[in-house]
Amino acid sequence: MIQVRNLTKTFDGFAALQEASLTVPRGSVYGLVGPNGAGKSTLIRHLTGIYRPDSGEITIDGEPVWENASLKARVAVIPDDWYYFSSASIRDMMRFYRGFYPRFSMERWEKLRDIFRLDEKRLIRHLSKGMQKQAAFWLSLSAMPDCLILDEPVDGLDPVMRRQVWSLVMGDVSERGSTVLVSSHNLRELEDVCDHVGILDHGKVLLERSLAQLQDNMVKLQVVFPDGMTEVPAEIPVLHASRIGRIHTLILRMNADEATALLAQYQPLLVDAVPLTLEEIFIYELGGADYAVKDIVL
Amino acid sequence: MQSKTSFFNPTLFRKNLSRYWPLWGFASFVGFLLPAAALVQMVHQGDLHIAPLVVREGYYALLCDAVPIVSLGYAILCAMAVWNYLYNARSVGLMHTLPIRREGLFLTNLLSGLAMMLIPYAVAGGLSTILFACCGGFDAWGTLVTILGVIGESLAFFGIATFCAFLTGNIFVLPALYFLLNFLAPLGDWIVNLFARGFLFGFTSQYSGSVEFLCPVVYLCQNLYYHSEYARDSVTGRNTALSAVTLEGGWLIALYAAAGLLFLGLSYLLYRRRQSERAGDVVAVRAFRPIFRFGAAALCALLGGRLLYALLWESFQSGDGFAPVPMAIFLMVAGLIGYYGASMLLSKSLRVFRGSAVGALCLVVACAAFCAGMRFDLFGAERRIPEDSEIHQLELYAAGNTYYLSPEDNAQLLAEAKMLQETLIAQKSLIESNYETYRHGSTSSDPDTYTSIRYVYTLKNGATVERFYTVSFTRSDLQEPGNYAHALDAFINSAAMRQARLRWGDPDFKVEGGWFSAQYTGGFDLGTRECETLLSAIARDAGNGAWGRYDWFEDGETAYAMDLSFSFVRTLTDERGTRYESYDSISIAVRPEMAETKQALLDLGLVGEEDFITWAELKEDSITRAELKEEATPETAA
Repeated sequence: MIQVRNLTKTFDGFAALQEASLTVPRGSVYGLVGPNGAGKSTLIRHLTGIYRPDSGEITIDGEPVWENASLKARVAVIPDDWYYFSSASIRDMMRFYRGFYPRFSMERWEKLRDIFRLDEKRLIRHLSKGMQKQAAFWLSLSAMPDCLILDEPVDGLDPVMRRQVWSLVMGDVSERGSTVLVSSHNLRELEDVCDHVGILDHGKVLLERSLAQLQDNMVKLQVVFPDGMTEVPAEIPVLHASRIGRIHTLILRMNADEATALLAQYQPLLVDAVPLTLEEIFIYELGGADYAVKDIVL
Repeated sequence: MQSKTSFFNPTLFRKNLSRYWPLWGFASFVGFLLPAAALVQMVHQGDLHIAPLVVREGYYALLCDAVPIVSLGYAILCAMAVWNYLYNARSVGLMHTLPIRREGLFLTNLLSGLAMMLIPYAVAGGLSTILFACCGGFDAWGTLVTILGVIGESLAFFGIATFCAFLTGNIFVLPALYFLLNFLAPLGDWIVNLFARGFLFGFTSQYSGSVEFLCPVVYLCQNLYYHSEYARDSVTGRNTALSAVTLEGGWLIALYAAAGLLFLGLSYLLYRRRQSERAGDVVAVRAFRPIFRFGAAALCALLGGRLLYALLWESFQSGDGFAPVPMAIFLMVAGLIGYYGASMLLSKSLRVFRGSAVGALCLVVACAAFCAGMRFDLFGAERRIPEDSEIHQLELYAAGNTYYLSPEDNAQLLAEAKMLQETLIAQKSLIESNYETYRHGSTSSDPDTYTSIRYVYTLKNGATVERFYTVSFTRSDLQEPGNYAHALDAFINSAAMRQARLRWGDPDFKVEGGWFSAQYTGGFDLGTRECETLLSAIARDAGNGAWGRYDWFEDGETAYAMDLSFSFVRTLTDERGTRYESYDSISIAVRPEMAETKQALLDLGLVGEEDFITWAELKEDSITRAELKEEATPETAA
């Protein structure tokens, strides 16, 4: 389990993280989402022991991350800008990783060769961005981590390889109980793989819930009010409202039953609850945090 | 495979060596050239035998003269190689996510860097040892001392380079910082002397060397040396073969190596506190940011201010010294440029002006205070005259002669010399004003002249205090009691100084030879016995008051048209215990009143009566002859 408690980090007076807290249950896939500059990469660099927090606590399986070599031996990271030695081939980097990660499995390395189909002897700098990303996955998964931390992991991969990679990650979660924290802007993709989501904005975790809870907490309704009622009643606490003809589309922060009951008093001609996508939840949650989504029409 | 310890990772060690093999590979090739060249030379000379002591001498020569300079340059390359991951956010990210603690990374990279430093030396030394051993020149002690010396010097320079590596977060700043730190002490010394010369009366020194020990490469090159002793042939008295070679000052290597270790220790502490996010920053340690900002401002103020002064003011001023107000203004301007430049580098932004007023104001005040302090000699440097208890020797140059005075042998003269210096210091304003008048040509009917007086105190602690005064005066100044010129004349023309000038009876100086020439009998080299006879006669004339009075306005016209000079040799021992000879000479103007000297010249057969003709008479004679010649050949003259 990954736990972050009241994490604060300041860069020359600018607070990148302010009392951020999150919990990633063991064996879960946790999607960390947030707008640009929210502090996602900073948080990940703390989780991987690159940055030392100004204050707060970061633990994985109850152990602090900072300067904990035995813990880090069980954690693999794929950052957005993965570093490799400029004169290194994939095989060179494999030897390098093998020298650091005690559980590095050559058996798995061999198995993954068939999936990634990369030339081990080629210099990594001569590979495309997507192939470099594959190499990073190949190395990280062969290290047999209990905890996998991914920052924009499938950025640059083709759709087939995306599926392949997610399949490998999900396989690790199901077979070995790995914990995965993934930061991405691709919310549609996260929706497919994550079971927990945390939304980070301005250095703070606005909310974190299981995806089911999150979807249950917000509802999109398509409503047709009786004749003569052209506007949405002011008493209804809408996060967002739009109208096409007589059909009003309302976003409400409550579950579908509560929303339907609330609208029943106005005797609507039609009420239809539509599940929100993660992208919509992200946009409307941030809309509550002064994020500039007022003019976004879905 | 992964290391069992968290302090050293062999994978990283191997990776470092394999990544940077061109660096140590090329250095090793250069090292290989050394024994190769030695072998070629031996083959060329047809002598494949070499004595172990000759090998030792060669090793020590390299250790003293080459290794410090090579290590200075090579250490920074090795440090840049092993610590470069700290300067890039991506690479620092990879290294710090690996399952190894900071101390493990530090120690592994440190050992990698040291290995890169030592491999070329090992190649050169190993091959040389094998080669010389095959030629009968294996010297175990010399080899061991050299190995330890090379390790010590490498440790010293790599330690400094590593320390600099942890101060900065920028790969390009690292070498600049390293060389600045290595040469900061001599640079500071030079700057201090630069301003002292301009502001303080009597200061002419360019460089004191008092803090040179803070510059390892210079100090090692100057104070680490080897001493060779040769067996002497009892018949010919010539040196035959090396009998012993010893390394002197080897403790300095140990001292600098210890300093290198200390720097490494500090580097580790900095690494523990280092923030990975500082990758790319000019200064990576928060506490050093103000030091960098104000240090850069101070350097810029002093060097840039002096440059601006030279460009915009010095050519138009009347005196030699610095004018404090313009200098302060130039210091402020250059200092502010340095201050804001450093601020921009630190913040990686051009927007540094807001909120910087307090720092800039402090800098401006510091510049003004510096100039005021120098102008009014706040630290009493101008007035400093060493106490007798501090003095080992005073080397005084005055009236064309050098005098060596020590508290033990010349207490009275030393006291008088110091009293004269006190008088000069007390009348600083008058001296400066008179010299200005002299330089621009006095309009007074009273003729003026100038002379220089140089004091070099060698203190018992090895330091030197040097002052140089240029004074000008008129004939009437010489007659005015209390005037510095009167004090100078009284001192230089005292009986004791006359005797000291002649070096007659001075046990430290031995007359070595001389030269005499007269108008008609020609010139002669003088032997030791002739010199002693003449010096004795001059000393008797001095005792009679016929020689020795130094005439500040003397034009030489009343002396005989003769050249008489003596050279002396003085045997001294330097701080290394090596004996060396110092040479000195005096010229004697023979005058009609020097009866004893005239008689001695006649007795030695060096002159005839016709040679006793003064320069004035000779000049008159020449004019007369020329006129007669003109009259005899008017057409030629026409």
